[in-house]
Amino acid sequence: MEPIIDAHNLVKVYNEKGIPVYAVNGVHLHIEKGEFVALVGPSGSGKTTVLNMIGGLDKPGKGYVRIAGVNISEMSADKLIQFRLRNIGFVFQSYNLIPVLTAKENIEFVMLLQKQKAEEREKRALELLAQVGISDKADMRPSELSGGQQQRVAVARALASKPRFVLADEPTANLDSVSASNLLDIMEKLNREEEVTFIFSTHDQRVIDRAHRVITLQDGKVVSDTKRT
Amino acid sequence: MATLLKIAWRNIWRHKVRSRLIVFSVAFGIWAGLFMQGYVNGMAEGRIRIAIQNELSHLQIHHPAFKKDMEPVFVIHDASGIRTFIEKSPAIKAVTLRHVAKGMVASPVATAGIKINGIIPGQEVNVTAIRDKIIDGDFFPGKSRNEMLMGEKLSRKLKVKTGDKVVITLVDRENNITSGAFRVKGLYRTSNAPYDESNVFVDESTLYPLTTGTPEYNEIAILLKDNKDLAGFASTLKKQYPGLLVESWRELAPELDLTISTVRQSMVIFMGIIMLALAFGIINTMLMAVLERTRELGMLMALGMTKGRIFLMIFYETILLVFTGTPFGVLAGAMTVYYFNVHGIGLSRWKDVYESFGYSDVVRTSVNKEDYWVIIILVVITALVSSLFPARKAVRLNPAEAIRK
Ligand SMILES: Nc1ncnc2c1ncn2[C@@H]1O[C@H](COP(=O)(O)OP(=O)(O)OP(=O)(O)O)[C@@H](O)[C@H]1O
Ligand SMILES: [Mg+2]
Repeated sequence: MEPIIDAHNLVKVYNEKGIPVYAVNGVHLHIEKGEFVALVGPSGSGKTTVLNMIGGLDKPGKGYVRIAGVNISEMSADKLIQFRLRNIGFVFQSYNLIPVLTAKENIEFVMLLQKQKAEEREKRALELLAQVGISDKADMRPSELSGGQQQRVAVARALASKPRFVLADEPTANLDSVSASNLLDIMEKLNREEEVTFIFSTHDQRVIDRAHRVITLQDGKVVSDTKRT
Repeated sequence: MATLLKIAWRNIWRHKVRSRLIVFSVAFGIWAGLFMQGYVNGMAEGRIRIAIQNELSHLQIHHPAFKKDMEPVFVIHDASGIRTFIEKSPAIKAVTLRHVAKGMVASPVATAGIKINGIIPGQEVNVTAIRDKIIDGDFFPGKSRNEMLMGEKLSRKLKVKTGDKVVITLVDRENNITSGAFRVKGLYRTSNAPYDESNVFVDESTLYPLTTGTPEYNEIAILLKDNKDLAGFASTLKKQYPGLLVESWRELAPELDLTISTVRQSMVIFMGIIMLALAFGIINTMLMAVLERTRELGMLMALGMTKGRIFLMIFYETILLVFTGTPFGVLAGAMTVYYFNVHGIGLSRWKDVYESFGYSDVVRTSVNKEDYWVIIILVVITALVSSLFPARKAVRLNPAEAIRK
């Protein structure tokens, strides 16, 4: 079976004209459906850069990324936007939500971009809010939610488009340990029950401990890749 | 997409002070534009009103050759018959006959070239406002013969006062120089200084003995009830009297239209400055709004918002601000224009300057429908154009880099 993510020999060089920075230098990755992967490594090791290339936010200088067999590294910008919308969910460290929309509206927004019908959007948004355990916050704006609640909405929003996988760049970095642990619980549950594939980067050892597979980067290279059961 | 509009609307109120500032600037721009336009219109209308009331009337009829040198031979035949015909028209307010001549007036100390208006006082008062402009002495008729009304400005030039004698010199029918002594019966002052300096009024019965020798008329001045009837009535007269020269105030004083269009043009420059300031303000503020939301915009792009939608969102934000400000500006402008239409703007400090150009010192602002549309459309176009820069800036963001910021 085709892996859901097939990254081949990814290279990303910044500042090519001056002193080149090899942010990512020959990364190979295969990730299957249903995996729960942590991308770890010291600051500047290339985690964000790798996630951005996998997520189609950034183009690799060399190599390619195939998502379910489709090479996204050769896609036009417009196609890539549509592809992201249908296939990839994103959770960022911060500035995840549209501040002027309520939790529910934020979740619906992605479905709106996918041109789904109003009833379906509403139904799914409420479902997702229930899954991340904040049904009661549906009509609150991000500024009225705690950091942990905001990240839960972000996870729910990432799932709204029924993506093939969710990329989360340091989703717990701004959270206290209890909120971080709660968020991980939710992600793990979604992974277990709904078979949602998660790839998240982190520094936090407690978060790393929850992953089923840990890929360690250093200086833009994969230095270890271990699976746990 | 309605949601995009909703987001844009809410986005603009994230920075209340800043958004209010734009709304206020838009309103102020429209207000200033309307007020200036109203002022310019009022000035122009005032000038035309003065010219029609005091100087030109709506229409004048002459012998075609008369205008060149005002020679006494070019009289209008059967002027009284024509007057009777004209008077019957319902469009007419009043009509008067005149005997006009070019000449010189001399006092013991100075002389001046003038136009001598020989009037029929009983008719003249219905056509021009000259009687109301008298500031010293009296209007006709008087006790003695050969009396004259003189502009105050001219009296100062000649150093004469009411009751003094002056001598006018002109040419008669046979091109002989003739002259006659007149007593200054009164002084008048219109708000057109150059006019006052070059026009005197006498009873026509005291003038024709010096020129034609017989009672003749060479000018018919017509005041209409409404300027709207001007073109229609002029063409009626032209058809009726093909041998005579029928002219509207526009044709009589082409410089009037010219000055008015010049003033209107300076208005264009003024509007340009307002719009430029507005554009600058909008671009600046919206660019700021885009830059401080870089991460958020990056997130939206990552989610799958197309560049087109990002562009549209920023565009909507600008447009919504402008549309919020527009009604306030229009309302404030309309109210200001209405107020100064009723009360007038007094410029007594600049009275002399204005009058030396023939403008009234009281301006009654007025705007018409087209002025509103022109200004609103100008503002909207300015807003549309200025919104393009920030929107383009937003679209050019690279999502991966924007999120890192
Ligand atoms: N736009 C850029 N221009 C130049 N260099 C960059 C740029 N973005 C990233 N880099 C460099 O690329 C390298 C990898 O950065 P990256 O953000 O992927 O690391 P990271 O593992 O996510 O680090 P962190 O844990 O601090 O988030 C770093 O050395 C960084 O300085
Ligand atoms: Mg990073």
